[in-house]
Amino acid sequence: MSTKDDAERIELLQGTLDLLILRTLAPGPAHGHAIAKTIERQSEDVLQVEQGSLYPALHRLIKRGWISADEGTSENNRRAKFYRLTAKGRRQLHVETTKWEKLARAIANVLKPAQEGSV
Amino acid sequence: MRRRRRALADLDQDIRDHLERETQENIERGMSPGEARSAALRKFGNVGLIEEQTRAVWRRPWVDQLRQDLLFAFRILRRAPGFTAIAVLTLAVGIGLNTAVFSVVNSVLLRPLEYPHPERLVWLGEYDPAVHHDMVMLSDAAAWRTNTRSYNGVASYSFQQAVIATSRTAFPVAAVFADGDFWSLTGATPALGRRFSPDEQHGVVISWDLFQRQFGEDLHVVGSAVTVDGGASTITGVLPKNFRFQFPRWWIARHPEPIEAYLTLPPAEAQHRAGQVVGSLKPEVSISQAIAELESLQRSLHPPNASQPNSRATLHVEMLYDQLTSGARRALSVLLAAGGLLLLMVSVNIASLLLARAASRRRELAIRLAIGAGRFRALRQILVESLTLAFAGGAAGLLLARWTILLLARIGPASIPRLAEASIDLRVLAFTFCITLAAGILFGIAPGFVLWRTNLHDALKEGARGIGGLFGLRIRRVLVAGELALALLLLTGAGLLLASFLRMTARPAAFTPEKILTMKMRLPPARYSRAMQQRYRDELLRRLASIPGVEAAGISVQPMFCCAPAFPADSDPNQTHLLHQNFATPGYFRALGMELRKGRWLTDSDKDGVILLNESMAWEAFGSDDPIGRTLKTPQPKVVVGVLADLRYTKLDAHVVPEIFLPFDQPMMFLFDIAVRAPNLSGIPAAVRREMAAIDASLPPYDVKTLQEALADSISSQRFNLFLLGSFALSAFVLALVGIYGVVTYSVAARMREIGVRMALGAQRRNVIGMVVREGVTLGLAGIVAGLAASYSFTRLMTSLLYGVKASDPRIFAAASAILAVTVLFASWWPARRAASIEPVIALRDE
Repeated sequence: MSTKDDAERIELLQGTLDLLILRTLAPGPAHGHAIAKTIERQSEDVLQVEQGSLYPALHRLIKRGWISADEGTSENNRRAKFYRLTAKGRRQLHVETTKWEKLARAIANVLKPAQEGSV
Repeated sequence: MRRRRRALADLDQDIRDHLERETQENIERGMSPGEARSAALRKFGNVGLIEEQTRAVWRRPWVDQLRQDLLFAFRILRRAPGFTAIAVLTLAVGIGLNTAVFSVVNSVLLRPLEYPHPERLVWLGEYDPAVHHDMVMLSDAAAWRTNTRSYNGVASYSFQQAVIATSRTAFPVAAVFADGDFWSLTGATPALGRRFSPDEQHGVVISWDLFQRQFGEDLHVVGSAVTVDGGASTITGVLPKNFRFQFPRWWIARHPEPIEAYLTLPPAEAQHRAGQVVGSLKPEVSISQAIAELESLQRSLHPPNASQPNSRATLHVEMLYDQLTSGARRALSVLLAAGGLLLLMVSVNIASLLLARAASRRRELAIRLAIGAGRFRALRQILVESLTLAFAGGAAGLLLARWTILLLARIGPASIPRLAEASIDLRVLAFTFCITLAAGILFGIAPGFVLWRTNLHDALKEGARGIGGLFGLRIRRVLVAGELALALLLLTGAGLLLASFLRMTARPAAFTPEKILTMKMRLPPARYSRAMQQRYRDELLRRLASIPGVEAAGISVQPMFCCAPAFPADSDPNQTHLLHQNFATPGYFRALGMELRKGRWLTDSDKDGVILLNESMAWEAFGSDDPIGRTLKTPQPKVVVGVLADLRYTKLDAHVVPEIFLPFDQPMMFLFDIAVRAPNLSGIPAAVRREMAAIDASLPPYDVKTLQEALADSISSQRFNLFLLGSFALSAFVLALVGIYGVVTYSVAARMREIGVRMALGAQRRNVIGMVVREGVTLGLAGIVAGLAASYSFTRLMTSLLYGVKASDPRIFAAASAILAVTVLFASWWPARRAASIEPVIALRDE
């Protein structure tokens, strides 16, 4: 399954998983397994998500009202629980993304001061 | 809560689903099923742990902790059943009595009338100082209705004990003549038929109860012909079941029964009848504008110089709500305050008990703190405990309140409007909840505070030695002194009411109201001309006197407006006096047992022009001069022939009014007060009814009761107040007794060793007793001094509830203090004797 060595994988920062889940659900509803797969695939297996840890995170998001869970049928006609982004969740995704980008830019700036040529 | 359940409902299923998919993928990638499954599990992580973590997301920590605290509180309370029982019981009494009083307040003062726009209804009255309530001549009321512009409607009503007869049966009903805009003001919509219009005659609207009871719910009753007091009438409608007559009823003390029939007012009645008037203000009109308009109208109707019989009456206009509640408001606020004091005492008492327990629980708490419980958490535990106690007491209190309300409605005076409607509704429940919460927090704070300040180190060490110490005793002493002060305040209040009550019921020995039967009867003016009236009266007197066993019988009538300006003919005509006129037959004086002080009685041969005075009137008009033979102008000149001793024979709660008695020969009066005196009254009422039926069967007597009963009814509201305040005071007294006993006992227990040492060193028993008693007495004195100060400033609020006794009567204050002082002595003497009987050796070894 995993194609990378453990040494190359990064532990998720606190709270980042929430953001990833919200992002994954942005295009449309998905069930738990699909969410885990998508996150793994899109991070090219760099981010290490113990699949189980997805569930507390999902419930945390339901409690905050950012996503909701509905009963549904999956592609191969099996009953499954589908998670979908709520309007509130969509706004939150926007806020979190902006915050994250700001943070990433700031960290990048700190790490590469030389290029700015200030000395 | 529901979201949580739904989200967690299929968590298992969801996870199983996830694992299956992962396994399936692994198989597709070429693993064996077993390998695929364990790889999936490995990748997923610890299923049990993850489920637990997911559930934890939904958990609210305070709910779980609260449950823990509650369970713990229950355990603690169960472990001390004696304490718990006392606390719950006293709380139940405190909360129950308060809830009951509040439910009365709620019903009497807070619930609005069930009529449309109750906030616009105004009371239009003319105060008659002699009868102490408002009366308006119905002819005036009709003029007010047509000649004013401030109102959307003006309604008048007057009570009438009527007899309704159908073709089959006849029965008496409590009725009112409902005139003017009565129906639009009450907003009543009949369940059957229609209301009668203001100009209609001979109409009757009956209540649902009467419809059920007397007409068997026969629908044909609407439109059917009946006779009312002998006059032909038609039943036009039946009121719905929930309609109630809620206007002020001054007659309610004598007629508490609900109004069951509403009659059109015959013009003959309107001429000489007085009643009550209610108006509905137009929205844009203020009450002061309405008063001004009515005053100028009244001046034009009755020019001031004309010697109208009601010229002494003064207009009295106020919002109907104020008029309805004015009588009960002061008494209820005093009772509410007394209830609050009692609950405060209950709380203080429990706080004191909890403090005693806190001493022994210090060690337990210290251990909990030592092994890492937060102080807030520990404090909350204590608060949860006291609140659990409070709510147990509150629940028991609600039960008690239900019983008390039933009792109050039964013994309560009919003069408190809507008392019978008192019940536990949502507002009362909210009130109970609030006082329960307040009490719980109140008595939880003291032990909480003391434990909060607990020094861990000392507590653990001391606990190891097993001494309670004088822990919290200082606070307890202050609490108990406060309790005594509150008890004294309640005792003084109850004492004042008791003294008033005794004053009211005191009477001269010759006055024997239990041997006097009183009743009323009313001649319908439409059927009884003056000559017929006279014949009826003579026949009635003759028949009453002929009943075996009757010693005396008489009739009196009191005009509605009795306060003609009267003054001695030979003095200043501007010095007039208010007086009560009473036309009476000679037998009336004998039946009531009145005493002649001077002069002679009235006789049957006396005609208009001679009068008797009571002593109050004689004193008021003539001072210390001899009134016999003097002339009093009322304004017709009358010669005084005799003076009677003052006697309160109608109302016990009013002072004797100046009164004159005139010969019963000329008045056109229709309401007879009949008095019959017999040494043994059994059988007399039936005989009287029989004789009266023989004269005119359609005119039965009503309000038939002994004068003793009638007098007792006249002070039923005082009895009610005394009962309530008395039970408050009694409860307070018991609480104070328990409180001081508890503190002294506890302090003796805590000082056991000290006492042992003292006795070992040669202290005598009486020294020890003196020492302990001194402690109690010091506390008691502090409490009594504080209580006296509080009583002095608060009892004056009761002034309007008192009769014949001043709010600051030093005798009552002294008596209450003495009772409390004796109690304190007694309560501290007991533990003192026990302390003195300690064997020093045992006390010392016990350490």
